[in-house]
Amino acid sequence: MLVDSELIKRACQGDDAAFNQVVVAYRKRILGIIARLIGRPEDVEDVGQGVFLRLYFSMGQLHAPEVFEAWMYRLTVNAAYDYLRRRKRHGELRMSDLSEQQVMLADAVAGAKREDELQRRKRVRELVDTLLNSVSEQDRILLTLKEIEGLSLKELEMVYGVKENALKVRLFRARQRVLKVYQEMEERSAVPGATEG
Amino acid sequence: MLDERDARGLNPDARLSGLFAEYRAACPDPEPSAMFTPGLWEKIEARRSFSYRLKLFSRAIITAAAVLCLLMGLSLSRPEPSASYLEIVTADQSHGNAADEDLVAVLYERN
Repeated sequence: MLVDSELIKRACQGDDAAFNQVVVAYRKRILGIIARLIGRPEDVEDVGQGVFLRLYFSMGQLHAPEVFEAWMYRLTVNAAYDYLRRRKRHGELRMSDLSEQQVMLADAVAGAKREDELQRRKRVRELVDTLLNSVSEQDRILLTLKEIEGLSLKELEMVYGVKENALKVRLFRARQRVLKVYQEMEERSAVPGATEG
Repeated sequence: MLDERDARGLNPDARLSGLFAEYRAACPDPEPSAMFTPGLWEKIEARRSFSYRLKLFSRAIITAAAVLCLLMGLSLSRPEPSASYLEIVTADQSHGNAADEDLVAVLYERN
């Protein structure tokens, strides 16, 4: 955990200063997860504020500080789902948005990195986004949380509220679907590693 | 990062894992803007004041409902007339007839 459980307890009891410390400690991490889940930099902060807003008004319901992180990830995933659902309702396309995001993210780190390295990273991002967009939204979010955000099965169990074995099955199937698309792309020599030395 | 030569030696599953790791490194967590936390507190305050107004409104509704219940209870607790419906109607009828008779008598006298 990024903060100690005593701080979480104080925040649960309505201590605004403690809650502010929790926000400061977690905001970057949460914004990172949201950015990778929704793929639209201009909306990341708004969705992130929504997560912390929900967190603030439901802190009193948290009984054990140990489950705080998993609980916050759950709020984050729910907020991302809500956002994606809203966007889907408005008929917006994700793929084009994501490629726009790649450019903006690449711009953000451009000053510090070599151009070829930057290009390679950009290609990796585009490839993984394409792979993850080839599966369902549920699979994509589950794989992102496990493979990219590095959440443990125990944490995912709390986030999704399902048993570990069921999660393993879902993860395995989701990964197999992505792997299939990846292999097809490799065969067509669309993988960055296959085209450069 | 996975080198092409390294990548070729791995099975697709391991290559995919490597790709995910590269992706994580290629997508750093964005820095929150200076307005993130103040903006959040503004939203919290706005929600709080709305909740407060809602709480006041709910309390007023509950109080009004309680007063109404009390008044209805009082009106229902008043003693009911002891006579039956039939007795009341009969009495009213007889009273009405007597009045008619008086009126007829007055008119008769005038004529």
